[in-house]
Amino acid sequence: MTEKSRYLEGVEKKDLFAHGHRACGGCGQALAARLVHDAAGENTIACVATGCLEVFSSPYPDPSWRIPFLHSLFENSAAVASGVEAAYKALGKGPVNIIAQGGDGSTADIGFQSISGMFERGHNVLYVCYDNEAYMNTGVQRSSFTPYGARTTTTPTGNRTRKKNLPMIAADHGIPYVATATVDDFRDLQQKVKKALSIEGPKYIHILAPCPLGWGHHGELTVQVCRLAKDTGLFPIFEIVDGKLTNVRKIPVKVPVEEYLKLQGRFKHLFKRGVPAKEVAEIQEIANENIERFNL
Amino acid sequence: MDKLPLGLALDLRNVVPYKTGSWRTLMPVNIMHTPPCTQECPAGNDIRGFLRTLAEKKDYEEAWHVLTRTNPMPAICGRVCPHPCEEGCNRRDFDSPLAINSAERAVGDYGLEENLEHKKLIAARKEKVAVIGSGPAGLSCAFHLAKRGFKVKIYEAYGEPGGMMRYGIPSYRLPNYILRQELENILKLGIDLECNVKVGVNIPMDQLMQTYDAVFLGIGAQKGMSVDIPGEDSKNVYTGVEFLREVNSGKYMNVGKDVVVIGGGNTAMDCARVAKRLGANVSVVYRRTRVEMPAITAEIDEAMEERVMFRYHTNPVKIISDDGKVVGILCVQMELKEPDASGRARPVPLPGSESVIPADTVILATGQSADYDGIEVQKRDGKWVATSETLMTNVDGVFAGGDVVLGLETVSAAIGQGTRAASAIEDYIDGSVESRLSRPPVIYSKDLNTYYYQKKRRFEKEALPIHMRLKHFKEIYPPLDPEAIIDEAGRCFSCGLCFNCGNCFMYCPDNAVKISPKTGLYEFDLDFCKGCGLCAKECPCHYIQMTLEK
Repeated sequence: MTEKSRYLEGVEKKDLFAHGHRACGGCGQALAARLVHDAAGENTIACVATGCLEVFSSPYPDPSWRIPFLHSLFENSAAVASGVEAAYKALGKGPVNIIAQGGDGSTADIGFQSISGMFERGHNVLYVCYDNEAYMNTGVQRSSFTPYGARTTTTPTGNRTRKKNLPMIAADHGIPYVATATVDDFRDLQQKVKKALSIEGPKYIHILAPCPLGWGHHGELTVQVCRLAKDTGLFPIFEIVDGKLTNVRKIPVKVPVEEYLKLQGRFKHLFKRGVPAKEVAEIQEIANENIERFNL
Repeated sequence: MDKLPLGLALDLRNVVPYKTGSWRTLMPVNIMHTPPCTQECPAGNDIRGFLRTLAEKKDYEEAWHVLTRTNPMPAICGRVCPHPCEEGCNRRDFDSPLAINSAERAVGDYGLEENLEHKKLIAARKEKVAVIGSGPAGLSCAFHLAKRGFKVKIYEAYGEPGGMMRYGIPSYRLPNYILRQELENILKLGIDLECNVKVGVNIPMDQLMQTYDAVFLGIGAQKGMSVDIPGEDSKNVYTGVEFLREVNSGKYMNVGKDVVVIGGGNTAMDCARVAKRLGANVSVVYRRTRVEMPAITAEIDEAMEERVMFRYHTNPVKIISDDGKVVGILCVQMELKEPDASGRARPVPLPGSESVIPADTVILATGQSADYDGIEVQKRDGKWVATSETLMTNVDGVFAGGDVVLGLETVSAAIGQGTRAASAIEDYIDGSVESRLSRPPVIYSKDLNTYYYQKKRRFEKEALPIHMRLKHFKEIYPPLDPEAIIDEAGRCFSCGLCFNCGNCFMYCPDNAVKISPKTGLYEFDLDFCKGCGLCAKECPCHYIQMTLEK
């Protein structure tokens, strides 16, 4: 059988991040978190920064975590994970998978220095960023991952800056493994997590995790939105192993960005007058640059 | 208290999760849809079922049993059916439809090779049913009744069973041994067969109605209709049915050098191709054009490949004979005018366009009718039997089906009618009202999420080269490769029924899709499902749908 998702071979489903969490229906981050931890397996410690993931998964007395879970502040999940790793080393225990994780706010803005420090010191930690392109937990404020043209509560007329390219920044730290993934291709995502955990040293995986509430699309479209983000070229899928760009996902059929933008309420203002606003051309330009840069 | 593992301050591993199912306004449900192939199939075959069995289990035997639940003659239908299922296939809008007909033939052939036997559903019952005619309708009705335990006896007017399949379909399309084996297999269910008995002539209809609890009338359309033209009583003028019957009975026909076939239906095509194999130059004379021809497209194509001449817009006026034997046929050119009652363009003769086509044999394949000798039933249009919705005629306890009801139709249509009549007869005998089984809704391409399917080439059966075909009456399509058929079955979308792709299972953000420990299928954990609809959206075959919460 040749169908793409015919067999679930090589795919893990252990529900280590279990049901009963308070995420919205169709939450991309909840889906991503489950996929990541199922791939990592039971021998894992999750160090989670403040954010949606922590808020919806950890209320007492019924958290969703079936593995050790450590909540830290917004800015220091990477630092805490570094400490956990150092403690295990000092105690002579392990090996154990340590996954530091946070949303795009804690990764790109507030916790950036601690991540940079973790990369630089070379801790054996995987950092997973769930990128939903704004501070969704606190009510959809702009972050440095918010894409150009997107409306948030702090950029009501559309964001004026481009998205920070953290995967490349991480790669420039000289860490052994950087990858991007989305929740729609669960096989690819889980393979990347497994591959990352098999490598010694700091690793970074950037996962696009749509937020139906903040992005203004219906929960059922989470996977489709991810797919369009990839196929328009706005979210390139690649791996950087030892500084070399590899495994770039080629776009099978290139899709104009309008199709991606029109699904989402946060870009609705760009199509208000019946014709696409000039920002749409700019966003298309960003996609084209990505396509050229990564040879998608 | 147990010592906590390193890293745990609170042991919350065995908590009772918070039931998020109460948030839901929409609820996912599994709804099995009717795939368009089954919808289009006149016999109502479970096409998706047998293709998925082939693809998943690679099990021809089980596929044969799935197929023969509705159709007792897969090897025959796999050869002669014009496969409307392929017209319906949702894959048509994606790349190209599945080669369902070839798959059916491969499964049927496997059944014959391995001598697979039909299974009876229930033990014997005492009620008896008579079936008149052993064509596809009669056999199908007898088959389904016998499976349900009835005592069935078939009366056949000719020397061998099979009806039009035996005497109407030439053996290059349907080899005789295939027909015989498949019929024997049906008769093994304990069906009695009496040949050379013409009901109404050799045995009165009343006697049957008294001896049996019900009678099924599947006499077909065995009588060729003549066109009213002068000279049709000459020697070497045959009706199509007559001609095919003679050839299929194994009689050598000396047709001469030139043969003219009049008509554009399936019988005309069969006659033309048979005459071609007998060594003649064949022209088909038809008064409209190819577009209006009622024959199956593939057959017209094959006839053209075999160098049968087609003369369109031509109407016979007179058969010219010399010393009582045909020498030619006088034809007139026609012009097409506004459509008539049948929706086809109305041909009008062009004055002064008469011409003579030389002919040693003329075959009139311009229509057939049923032979009602000694059988009194109410008819519609004076030609075909009028039946109620349950296929009962105006005579209580006498049911009818097949060509005698439908007019000139296909083998699969007759099988479908036989199946329906069998259910109606069972209901009639049991005294229960027919429960009208409503089918689940049909699913069309627009409902599918085709992202998860891959484009793949369609399996094409290969015909013998034309010069080889015309030398003999052997089948023009050699046996099919079973492995290639399994590959082809793998192309099936499984429209409207889960094929365990695992999308719902993997994509649910709330882990609310579980594998049922009882059935091994996916099921929803409604305690936790928030009703986001992601599973329904990403279900490739539209098996999952969202409905309003109760």
